[in-house]
Amino acid sequence: MITAASIALVAAAALWLGAAAVGTLAERAAGLRAVTTVSALGGVAAVAGGTLTAIHETHATRTIGSANLVGAVTLRLDPLAAVFIALLGLIAIAIGLYAPRYHHPSRGTAWYLPVYNLALLASLGVLVAGNATFFLVAWESMTVFSYLVILRHHRREGVARAAFLFLALGEAGFVLIVAAFAIFAAHTGTLDLGLMAARSHTLSSGWRAGIFVLALLGFGFKAGLVPFHVWLPEAHPAAPADGSAFLSGLVIALGVFGISLFAFELLPGGPAWWGLLTLGLGALSAVVGVLYALMENDLKRFLAYSSIENIGIVLTALGAAMVFGAYHHPELEAFLLIAGLYQLVNHGVYKTLLFLETGVVEHTTGTREMNALGGLIHRLPATAVITLVGTLGIAALPPLNGFVSEWLIFQGLFQGFRIGNDLIGILIVIAGASLALTAGLAVMAFARGFGIPFLGMPRSRGAAHASERGQPIAGPGLLAASCVALGIGAPLVLTVLDRVAHATTGTDIKAHLLVPNLTVIPAHTGFSGFSPTYLAVYLVCIGIVPLLIYLAGRPRAASRTVPVWDGGILSFNARMQYTATTYANPIRVTFDEFYRPEFHVERASDDPAGRSGPVHYRFRVMPIFQRFLYAPLVRAVEWCADFVRPIQSGDVNLYLLYIFICVIIAYLIYPY
Amino acid sequence: MTEEQRLAARLQERALALFRRSLHIRTFDSGSCAVCESEIRLLSSPYYDLHRLGFFFTPAPRHADLLLVSGPAVRAAEPALLKTLEAIPEPRIVVAVGACALGTIFTEDELVHGSVDAVIPVDVYIPGCPPSPLALLHGLLVAVGRLEEKVQSLRFDLREELPA
Amino acid sequence: MFWFLRGIRRGVVTTRYPSRAEPAAAQLPTPPAFRAERLSVELVERLAAACPAGALRRDGPDLVLDLAGCTACGRCRDVGGEAVAASGEFELATRERAALVKRIPIGGGR
Repeated sequence: MITAASIALVAAAALWLGAAAVGTLAERAAGLRAVTTVSALGGVAAVAGGTLTAIHETHATRTIGSANLVGAVTLRLDPLAAVFIALLGLIAIAIGLYAPRYHHPSRGTAWYLPVYNLALLASLGVLVAGNATFFLVAWESMTVFSYLVILRHHRREGVARAAFLFLALGEAGFVLIVAAFAIFAAHTGTLDLGLMAARSHTLSSGWRAGIFVLALLGFGFKAGLVPFHVWLPEAHPAAPADGSAFLSGLVIALGVFGISLFAFELLPGGPAWWGLLTLGLGALSAVVGVLYALMENDLKRFLAYSSIENIGIVLTALGAAMVFGAYHHPELEAFLLIAGLYQLVNHGVYKTLLFLETGVVEHTTGTREMNALGGLIHRLPATAVITLVGTLGIAALPPLNGFVSEWLIFQGLFQGFRIGNDLIGILIVIAGASLALTAGLAVMAFARGFGIPFLGMPRSRGAAHASERGQPIAGPGLLAASCVALGIGAPLVLTVLDRVAHATTGTDIKAHLLVPNLTVIPAHTGFSGFSPTYLAVYLVCIGIVPLLIYLAGRPRAASRTVPVWDGGILSFNARMQYTATTYANPIRVTFDEFYRPEFHVERASDDPAGRSGPVHYRFRVMPIFQRFLYAPLVRAVEWCADFVRPIQSGDVNLYLLYIFICVIIAYLIYPY
Repeated sequence: MTEEQRLAARLQERALALFRRSLHIRTFDSGSCAVCESEIRLLSSPYYDLHRLGFFFTPAPRHADLLLVSGPAVRAAEPALLKTLEAIPEPRIVVAVGACALGTIFTEDELVHGSVDAVIPVDVYIPGCPPSPLALLHGLLVAVGRLEEKVQSLRFDLREELPA
Repeated sequence: MFWFLRGIRRGVVTTRYPSRAEPAAAQLPTPPAFRAERLSVELVERLAAACPAGALRRDGPDLVLDLAGCTACGRCRDVGGEAVAASGEFELATRERAALVKRIPIGGGR
């Protein structure tokens, strides 16, 4: 069925493929601009296609090749995937506007851009896949191309290792995803996703549970769920800024797409414990993510942990949706699905913005280390304003988008009392409390993440001499405008997401979501209500009255301007300020049992008379998951490998003996 | 008096009228031995009770009306003294307290200016080493115009019987 | 009933200065006052040498007392005997620095 949406998506795919094909032109400046423009246009097409599909609630499939053949490709248009397609498009547009000024035309860029566009294409493939094989091929391509994206600066120290970690954990997840699809396909007798969904109720509950857990863990590797998240803080700093933005904005969103695909479309109507498991892992990821984020001084690692936190919040919402669905509250299920998707889209927007701006900061000051930055609001004013909008969004301050989606999630969780079961109610309350802790710590983390680099005085020469000339503004600016639009225009966004939820779960809660005067209510009237649009108008209005009073009552006498009163000290220097480490110190002290940091102090001598020399202080948070989960696993695998190594002795005679023994065994068992 | 001087006098009267019963005082120690500071501190004690007169100490020069300076204006404290005075909005009063601040104990050399009025203009001088809190109260009340100066008419010349 | 108010008033320790004179002020150390007719040039020289703060000096026919420098230590009283007494004046604030310099003619007169 040819619809405008499908034309748009085909156009997007073609544009990205085209951009990849001519990517070698990027060795020259004009070619670089051309390739990135084509990529951005592909993004426009994707946004159009995704939004149209979501609004019209299109469900369509198209098979290329015979339906029963393994190599057949089935494409489908689905409203749930459409939300992700629109997000993909928006990120592609922003990165397309940003890339020409961030990358220099060179041979490295000439191979990087085709790979990046192929990664976009593969992501689109994952989102339009209609049968299991195509999905898996697209997924694996997306992983491989993202791996190559991370390897852009492969000669730099640590990049290859980070990319390898990404690939290794991606493959571990892939194994589980393949297992899930394989079992599902074997028991339903088809590879087509639509037919699998239709026949899923014929499976026994044990098999369904197994498939769901495999899918949750497998996609959890990609989504950055704790404890599968260890690749995120390594891979994001290693990739170039727009690569990190793509990874964080979209690739981990695809992990969430996979989980929601299985939870809401392929295996709908699961028991409550699926939702509780997702909820639990989500809440854990949220808290762990933000706690580690507060201890990070590298801007990109900090943002990576913050992504883990946000994905945790999204999965908490989706898990709670599943729980409400299992207890027959379809309106709350739809509501929390809407809230979770909204939070995911918002995360895609502001996290991409923050990563792009981190790239600008890194290029202009030469460092990502928060303790070496400072005062950038004076040197990089436009960047500072855009980053501030993104920071306010991610810290969930009204009336921006983060506030709306987090408010929706909290309102959904607060209605856990509507489920009769007390234990489930308590668990949902605990999840809500964890999210509240996360939200508070996130505000502190982002006050630190914006305040230390941008405010105050520069703490290093690089920060003191930064200049904004020639830096990209349009791409991040577009995302900042989107943050504001997604916040103030929440009623519009919720209308679209409601169509998606209706298409996915069959429940339309428009009447219980938006009362006509632009106010949002959480699925039940009389519980609470809030209007981001009115709030934005109100905030503007309350600014007008003081302004008028000031203009009317301004003193007419001459006034004397003097510097800020600083206590009369002779001069400020940058070393008198807070550092990033000390700002987060109260949290470090409170959660000392969780961080178990290692301190290392060196001084010239311990004798009081000799204490006039410099003191070196090093502080490291204990990496719990790497030390207690992954390192033992790796050691176990290595031990097994050592154990079987003697088989591969290199001695040809031994190998001939193996062949001989196998032939004998084959002869002995063949008749049977 | 010229027109300017008349206007200045009227402005000064108006300013003093504003401060009569409500005055915020910022103290500054420009290198004293801190005994003048203890006497100033005693003004807040229940016996002398500055607050009943409507006078308050304030830590921020932005909120102050009167700057109370003790000490011989050590050169190291000069930038801080100038910054403090600059931070006090007009109308303002400067009072120098103690023998050191009035220039009689230290002479000018490379470490010290010798007197406060070598650095900033002073409106009222309160002598003493240290001036007792009562003398300080008298000085502050003179500064805001609630009491008249007395020393001009004193002669320190006894013509009658000596007191016991 | 009035014993109640009297008791409260007795418990208040705050000085009533400046509306009433403060009786404890009589015990304050204060700058010296001089009996001009008992001064002689030789005595004035001895007084100037005794003053540790340099607030007393002879200028021609006058004894000059700089109130700004006087620490009320009382050594001039020890040296001067009946010619010098405590003035009892502590309200010495002024807007003019020059008003703090007092001239006392030696031997009286004027």
